[in-house]
Amino acid sequence: MSASEPPPNPAVGFLRGLRRALDRGVDLPEAFASGVAALPRDARHAVRRAAGRLEGDYNEDEWGFDEEFTETLFPLLEFMYDRWWRVQSNGVENVPGHGGALLVANHAGVLPWDATMMSVALMREHPLPRYPRFLVLDWAWQLPWSSVVMRKAGGVAASPYNAMRLLDQDHLVAVFPEGAKGTGKAYRDRYRLQRFGRGGFVEMALRTGAPIVPVAVVGSEEIYPKIGEARTLARLTGAPYFPITPTFPLLGPLGAVPLPSKWRIEFCPPIDTSRYGADAAGDRTLLLEISEQVRDTIQQKLYENLVQRGSAFV
Amino acid sequence: MPAGRSGRRDAGRRVLITGVSTRLGTQLARRLEADPYFSHVAGVDTRPPRATLGRLEFIEADIRQPSVMSRLAGTRFDALVHNNILRQPWPGMSPGAAHDTNVIGSLQLLAACERIEDLETIVVRGSAGIYGSEPAAPQFFTEEMARLYPLRTRFQRDVGEIEDYFATFSHRHPSVTCTMLRYQPAVGPALDTQVTRYLGQAVVPTFLGYDPRLQFVHESDAVEALVAAVKHPVAGAVNVAGPGTIGLTRAIRLARKRTLPIPAPLFGTTTGAGRRLGVRPLSPDFQRLLQYGRAVDITRLTEEVGYRPRYSTVEAVRDYVDRGSTVQPPPRPARPRPRPAARA
Repeated sequence: MSASEPPPNPAVGFLRGLRRALDRGVDLPEAFASGVAALPRDARHAVRRAAGRLEGDYNEDEWGFDEEFTETLFPLLEFMYDRWWRVQSNGVENVPGHGGALLVANHAGVLPWDATMMSVALMREHPLPRYPRFLVLDWAWQLPWSSVVMRKAGGVAASPYNAMRLLDQDHLVAVFPEGAKGTGKAYRDRYRLQRFGRGGFVEMALRTGAPIVPVAVVGSEEIYPKIGEARTLARLTGAPYFPITPTFPLLGPLGAVPLPSKWRIEFCPPIDTSRYGADAAGDRTLLLEISEQVRDTIQQKLYENLVQRGSAFV
Repeated sequence: MPAGRSGRRDAGRRVLITGVSTRLGTQLARRLEADPYFSHVAGVDTRPPRATLGRLEFIEADIRQPSVMSRLAGTRFDALVHNNILRQPWPGMSPGAAHDTNVIGSLQLLAACERIEDLETIVVRGSAGIYGSEPAAPQFFTEEMARLYPLRTRFQRDVGEIEDYFATFSHRHPSVTCTMLRYQPAVGPALDTQVTRYLGQAVVPTFLGYDPRLQFVHESDAVEALVAAVKHPVAGAVNVAGPGTIGLTRAIRLARKRTLPIPAPLFGTTTGAGRRLGVRPLSPDFQRLLQYGRAVDITRLTEEVGYRPRYSTVEAVRDYVDRGSTVQPPPRPARPRPRPAARA
């Protein structure tokens, strides 16, 4: 290949190289590689990685978590964290730096924005950052695309077997015990914790001896103010409920843009469960007691942070 | 028989394999022949194995027919490997005939087992298909989770019935240890399975918007797990799979194939249309697997049977892709073969 005059800009150089290679009848991933030479180093690396992924050169752990994929989501998530929601997180150091631990948080809305913001807080502010895995309601796993994105970003189906295996493997696991009742919360019920199921999350912690870290997320319950719901549409789509907000479904896909409320995330001191032993998991009274204790902690922290935050949007 | 059945023997075992003429059955026979631990190796099938084998005693019998009982009555085997469960009907075979082989075959075989003297160990090459493929299922099935979901397909119900028969048999005969190995799909250069055929296509149909986690077992591990289970029998079900999982998309990319994403509601009809072109349709089980995936926990295999697969799921796929398929297209007796030398 004769090295002709230098291309006017890197992008043109890249496209030229790509076309030349394709003309030679090279496969697309290899053609990428030969076009890449014309790009600056950062971009070159990015394109190489993209081409590598096209050849299956990437890693997913046994849960299907794809760290590289999650990293590519991070610039967007960091923008949401810094600019959109101006998140202030406190007590990150309460999350254990190693070993399994159960993060228990309040939750509203279908999209797991609160889980992703907890993830950003831990990755940026914890001295020993690691990606938390989160339990996602069953419904999301039947849908195309959403199931793939969830799995690659660290989501697993909300089954106690999954949670316990993750805890045994020393992962951080985020759960939202309000479950479907939490996702369908009306705007006027924001920050009022729903019933915490049957205390299943406590059982998982007791069986594995993992500590429970209550987490209060303020701000997430204002991003999609649900003012009504459409029962028929919910039944048609198989969704647990079909929300109506001031912008959705009125503005179509734009309605999925969350409102820019101001956020505070507080990680509370961990509750040690290992002292009860794994046999205590069968003790209903203890389960409900700990469950209630966690719920009270989160509720109280929610109120405190609401007061400290002041106005919701500015 | 006043057999001195005190503990397991360390050598001189006499083993009988069903489905010995399948690719995996033949590999197993070859492996057992080479192992001095086994003093006698016999195989049952309806036709002799294609490959030439050494000291194998071939018994021509159809396990679906009552005659199999008379062929096996009075024989002396201390181990039986049941390797005659069809994952998918052969080309031209009706689903009913596959059901016959699987269910009636297992029944007749168990009836014959009552007449085999000295039987101590039964190992079944069953299927992890019994767990099904469910969107929000536990991401690693353990052996107790077989009936967590309803058995949706015909093959699943067949496997359920087979498992019940063997469980009943081992209740009746406490001296016989019956190991039900639940296999994830096997891949390997010498195998011709639904997975290898699927990944071998020029264009691979997938469900639009789905990228399920899959789990495979390498052909050599598939054979070794059977051998390990014969040597260290464990009562009950044991999952068999390569450690780890692989996303379908990644498997297809490693195989350097192009995908044809099809929206889920149209998948069955679109892939079924290939039937007219001579492409074998994908079984209902396999279709669900391609949409929702499945993985199993292999703690029991590694700790109780004591076998750790040498190939992880990803390595199994890589090995299959790197070494290429060595499977010859099956000879068709009806038509003369056109230019056999064309395939270099």
